[in-house]
Amino acid sequence: MKQTGNPARRNMQLLAAVLLALPGLASANADLKAKIDNPGNWAAQAGDFYNQRYSKLDQINKDNVGDMQVAWTFSTGVLRGHEGSPLVIDGMMYIHTPFPNKVFAIDLDTQKIVWRHEPRQDPSVIAQMCCDTVYRGLAYAEGKIFLQQADSTLVALDAKDGKVLWSVVNGDPKLGAVNTNAPHVFGDKVITGISGGEWGVRGFLAAYDINTGKQVWKGYSVGPDAEMLIDPDKTMTWTDGELKPVGKDSSLKTWQGDQWKIGGGTTWGWFSYDPALNLVYYGTGNPSTWNPSQRPGDNKWTMTIFARDLDTGVAKWVYQMTPHDEWDYDGVNEMILADIKVKGKDTKALVHFDRNGFAYTMDRTNGALLVAEKYDPTVNWASHVDMKTGRPQVVAQYSTSKFTNPNHGPDVNVKGICPAALGTKDQQPASFDPNTGLFYVPTNHVCMDYEPFEVEYVAGQPYVGATLSMFPTPNSHGGMGNFIAWDAGEGKIVQSKPEKFSVWSGSLNTAGGISCFGTLEGHLKCVDAKDINKELYSFKTPSGIIGNVFTYLHKGKQYLGVFSGIGGWAGIGMAAGLEQDTDGLGAVGGYRDLQNYTQLGGSLTIFALPNR
Amino acid sequence: MRHRQFAIAFALLCFGSATQAEDARAAAKSSASDKPLYTVVDGYKVDADTLQGFRTWRAAACDRCHGANQEGMVGPSLIESLKTLSRDEFVTVVRDGRLDKGMQSFGSDQRVMDNIDHLYAYLKGRSDGAITRARVSAIE
Repeated sequence: MKQTGNPARRNMQLLAAVLLALPGLASANADLKAKIDNPGNWAAQAGDFYNQRYSKLDQINKDNVGDMQVAWTFSTGVLRGHEGSPLVIDGMMYIHTPFPNKVFAIDLDTQKIVWRHEPRQDPSVIAQMCCDTVYRGLAYAEGKIFLQQADSTLVALDAKDGKVLWSVVNGDPKLGAVNTNAPHVFGDKVITGISGGEWGVRGFLAAYDINTGKQVWKGYSVGPDAEMLIDPDKTMTWTDGELKPVGKDSSLKTWQGDQWKIGGGTTWGWFSYDPALNLVYYGTGNPSTWNPSQRPGDNKWTMTIFARDLDTGVAKWVYQMTPHDEWDYDGVNEMILADIKVKGKDTKALVHFDRNGFAYTMDRTNGALLVAEKYDPTVNWASHVDMKTGRPQVVAQYSTSKFTNPNHGPDVNVKGICPAALGTKDQQPASFDPNTGLFYVPTNHVCMDYEPFEVEYVAGQPYVGATLSMFPTPNSHGGMGNFIAWDAGEGKIVQSKPEKFSVWSGSLNTAGGISCFGTLEGHLKCVDAKDINKELYSFKTPSGIIGNVFTYLHKGKQYLGVFSGIGGWAGIGMAAGLEQDTDGLGAVGGYRDLQNYTQLGGSLTIFALPNR
Repeated sequence: MRHRQFAIAFALLCFGSATQAEDARAAAKSSASDKPLYTVVDGYKVDADTLQGFRTWRAAACDRCHGANQEGMVGPSLIESLKTLSRDEFVTVVRDGRLDKGMQSFGSDQRVMDNIDHLYAYLKGRSDGAITRARVSAIE
């Protein structure tokens, strides 16, 4: 079925949206929901509202995936890191690129470019995105493609011809406020965040009307209650083993003076949405600077899981994972919504694999902390999460803050912290398979030395304040990644498959019993969802993969695809630590190796079973 | 001990006369005056101005693009670049940037512009091979 611009139908949809937006009623976008419910489409970056990255398609399955072949390929013409994935809607594929953020609409019948859009952006934004110009993808709803440009401009394009319908400026790139995240459509709103935690940008989540681009609400991560859209009496958080209101000035009280104004807590990850609860879920990033001794306090609500009402933006609950961050463990990784058994009890869960190495299972209806366990056993900065207070128990040896360890602080190099700032997982999204009830998680297996130093804030300039060197986790398998299967109800690793490099690619599970992901060397791999050590398929694409695997149907046939194009922080991470004169060659050898496997270059590879 | 030998061997191989005997003081003259561009002892102890150059490098987060050891990442290796880039060219690039290539302009960053000579001295010392590691400290 082709998308039409039929006004009557539009009005019906509008009416439906208005009706659904009434208080107390769910407000999923009816058009987008219909597109998502058709498993032949890949209509949202995660395939759905819940960030599950699961497809009901089963033509490609564990018995025949080994026969899969390349069906066609497409060069984006752009170097640098290619994150996210294309969208597929009713026979049309929409492809995005890193800066300059080109968009291509490709007719899947002919593989012809139907339209293309290349925004004009000031190239100075490239430097404000140091050190890579990634962009994680487009969103779709009601005949519109939503493009979030690097320079922070959010644009609605007509999905038929690429014509610009509206555009709105979301931040000031001159101050380092840029965008790398994919926008997400929930209800009649397109939700976006902001990047720039290393420029002292104050993070926020913003909702824009999909039809006009008018800002509907904006909730900051830090600062006064009103600007955060936090209700001191009604916004809840896990405290002393129960949910309590956050109280007045819950953020301001945790910062010294005006530091919150350049406090970070940026929002560049993947967002999810529960239509029944009408809540949007996402995480906030690191507090600025990376030198924790300069910013005493918990620095709320950086490093926090937020649940906000879609209509008003008001926070229903918050949970801070890493108070007073000392390691750059941004909390932005995706929140996966799934209805699973937690410790034997049916639960509307939110599952989150944080950079800090702990996987959290929350009750997504109210923010209760249910499970918090390490999903890499080598995580050492904290011994455990205290389930009563919800706080991590920091190990003093690995603290980089003078407030946590009086012998540490600026100019003290703290060695052997696991995980590295890249986190046990970064933005690369995990998948949930309802058939096994397990989560499939692409992870990093990298540790670091971290030396903070005093730094002054200069508007529009990097505001980092730490020097890092990263290396493969010592005394382990020597690789820098694992692909794991995780039981979020019990907080246990079920299986772990070692990988030579960080697995920086979003995984996909399907009803065919497979789990697929890409590797930094450039392999697209599919494994048996019931035994992830059983590698059923591997194909070397043109460059390292940091994109997310997706699947769709065309003319009744299933296809599976992924971007390749090395870059992102993984590409930077691979070079970090080279020629470190304090390291043995064994440690740096692993990173050096990646250059022997891959070079820059963006392309899309589409796979299918051979025609019989 | 091992690194030290490595560093010296490396310097001798690559730069020959740029470094002197093991315990001697390496100093490079700037062309404009008799004041050495930088002074380095044991490969990592440097004069106050060069130390200030290192602090400027660190504060401006140059390592995010050029690597923790100036070896190059997204941005080019400064060990290599400063072998060919003149001091004036260096100042121009830092001040104006190379926007199309992703090098930002630091012209409005007072802390960088005030310390541009020190920054150049530090990086030139690294490029010459006289300063044998990125993390330097003061001459005691």
